[in-house]
Amino acid sequence: MWSTFIVTLKTNLRDKSALFWLIVFPIALATMFNGVFGNLDQAMSITPVSVAVVKDTNWTNAIGADTLITALSGKNSDSAKTQEGTGSNAMDIDPGVTLLDTTKVDSTSQARELLSQGKADGYLKADGDGRIALTLSDDAVTEANNGTQEAGLDISLSALDNVLDQYNRTSANVKSVLKDNPTAPATRTFWNGINASMSATKEVTLTNFKPSVMARYYYALMGMACLVAMSYMIHTVTTAQANLSALGIRRTVAPLGRAKQLVAGFLAGWLCSCACLLVALAYIRYVCGIEVGGREPAAVLAVIVASFMTCAFGTMIGAIPKLTTGVKQGMSTAIACSLSLFSGLYGGFAMELSDLISRKAPLLAAINPAQQVTNLFYSLMYYDSYQPFVRTCAILLTMSAVFLAAGVIMLRRQRYEHL
Amino acid sequence: MASETNANAQTIQAAQTTVPAVHVSQLVKRYGDMVALDYFDLDVQQGEIFGLLGPNGSGKTTAINCILALLTYDKGTIRVFGEPMTPTSYALKRRIGIVPQNVAVFNELTVTENIDYFCSLYVPKKADRAPLVEEAIEFAGLQDFRKFRPGKLSGGLLRRLNIACGIAHKPDLIFFDEPTVAVDPQSRNAILEGIQKLNKAGATVIYTSHYMEEVEQICDRILIMDHGRHLALGTADELKAMIDTGERITIETLDLTDETLAAVRALAFVIEASYDGRELDVRCRRGEHNLVDLIGVLRTSGANIGHLTSRPPSLNDVFLELTGKALRD
Repeated sequence: MWSTFIVTLKTNLRDKSALFWLIVFPIALATMFNGVFGNLDQAMSITPVSVAVVKDTNWTNAIGADTLITALSGKNSDSAKTQEGTGSNAMDIDPGVTLLDTTKVDSTSQARELLSQGKADGYLKADGDGRIALTLSDDAVTEANNGTQEAGLDISLSALDNVLDQYNRTSANVKSVLKDNPTAPATRTFWNGINASMSATKEVTLTNFKPSVMARYYYALMGMACLVAMSYMIHTVTTAQANLSALGIRRTVAPLGRAKQLVAGFLAGWLCSCACLLVALAYIRYVCGIEVGGREPAAVLAVIVASFMTCAFGTMIGAIPKLTTGVKQGMSTAIACSLSLFSGLYGGFAMELSDLISRKAPLLAAINPAQQVTNLFYSLMYYDSYQPFVRTCAILLTMSAVFLAAGVIMLRRQRYEHL
Repeated sequence: MASETNANAQTIQAAQTTVPAVHVSQLVKRYGDMVALDYFDLDVQQGEIFGLLGPNGSGKTTAINCILALLTYDKGTIRVFGEPMTPTSYALKRRIGIVPQNVAVFNELTVTENIDYFCSLYVPKKADRAPLVEEAIEFAGLQDFRKFRPGKLSGGLLRRLNIACGIAHKPDLIFFDEPTVAVDPQSRNAILEGIQKLNKAGATVIYTSHYMEEVEQICDRILIMDHGRHLALGTADELKAMIDTGERITIETLDLTDETLAAVRALAFVIEASYDGRELDVRCRRGEHNLVDLIGVLRTSGANIGHLTSRPPSLNDVFLELTGKALRD
């Protein structure tokens, strides 16, 4: 049995076609995804906006303007921290995020000069009431409206606009209160009120981990790669069955029981599938940077469960009588490709289709092994609880039991009517 | 050669007192309405090389697959070394080797790895196996190709690897199913010599082939079967004696007339006569004066006689007479 295990391991690892489909193909596809979708993630990130700050009299009179700009530039974190301690931080902006790259100028004309030279995207100027306004250059407006831009200028400008709007509203409120009640700053209620208005918009995280719009495609890719691994068991079963190959005849007349040969082959196939999928997972996780919710050990468990299921599936396909190995291998590829469509691998349309099936026909989604393998990683990423992950594992193990039972029924014959 | 055959015959006679290597009695196997084996009988004595001959579709492979417990059958008894053969007769299986017609090896493994693996199915301990593998490599003449994978081997070497994988565990009973198909004469010779060596070392061999000269060369006894039935059994000489066909006479003559050819055909011992304008080919029944009588007819007609050959009946003649000349699948 041990020698059968080793030989199956060797034949699997030396099968160039299987290695291509199980290692090279997922890596190539993941690389392609990375190239196509990587820019999309970049476009969603905040990048510093280059602005000129007009430091005229109005600016000097605008209370807190300098503090705001300094905080947004990420240049004086001490100041930001001090204000945070008093409950009036700079609009909940993460001190690690730099929203502005500032250049100080003395007048509006100097600021416009910088804009015309392309050295700044816009300028900030305070009016007589202390309100700060952002003026953008034509180039910056064009770039922000350009959907193909690489950097997320539109996201940064949107965030900046929001911050400035909050500053202006808060500043106006404070002035209004001070005008009616000059002693108000001495009370805690005043500062609490300001803080409450500052926190009117707050970003909260509902999921275990920061979501990534692209992660599902990579998970769907894992689902497809997993199903392709069926080929190992198809090869193992057909080369052990007398009615399927000459090799099978030779092995069947040997005194080592067929069950032992098949179990050894199954274990070797499982190990190889696991190894190949782990390579793909490692590439996706560490090269493409796709997270698995910080639950890497559980992701390894997911690979183990998924590869067990695919080996069981391969056993069933391999055991189908009267079909050649080539036909069965073709069937496995067709199954992997078609089921991957319903798990969302082929782009936005497929993803919508996958979601539609999950909503309208959950049973169909539940019996799609590619979808369930995708769900394994998805549940790790998006759910705080392990319950969805465990439930998906249970579904996959149930599928495996069904596949193995069907395979065993077909393989249980010890003698054949025909060879 | 004759003394060798006698010695072998004596050995077989001695073996006949022990249990047969294979005993098949009244075996019936049907594929739907088609009868593949029709109350087929077979007894192979220990220590002999037994030839199983028959046209395509005659039931040879079906019989072997039934003996190996690969196929179900409808009626009959099969015993190997006196024991009933079943799919779980592992003790019996340990004594059997098989060389299938199609090369059955792993393309991903080297020559040594293939032989070692198939031997490991019979001999689990690596230490016990290593000398057997080495011996099989030498037996098959594959010493220079140990690290080669099957894809890099020629047709003849592949056949030899196929044989090495089947015999490495030193079986007592070996089935060779057309082992020389598509190999050159040198490889064929090497394979046949190898089979004889295995037999001398004590193995019983059941050999199927379509090459009559091979069967005649190495087999002690031959069974000819057709339509799933046992047609004839004996040594090559015994089989030749069973048929009506005698010698085949070929005479070179350039001036044979239609009347003379008709006269030849009219001779009582002539089964068939043909003339291609250069050579007269006559298949005769058994008789002591066939050649003299034939030459007499030609001389009477005035035909000039050139080169003349007379060949005794071959196994091929026996085969064709017993199984007919109709084409098979």
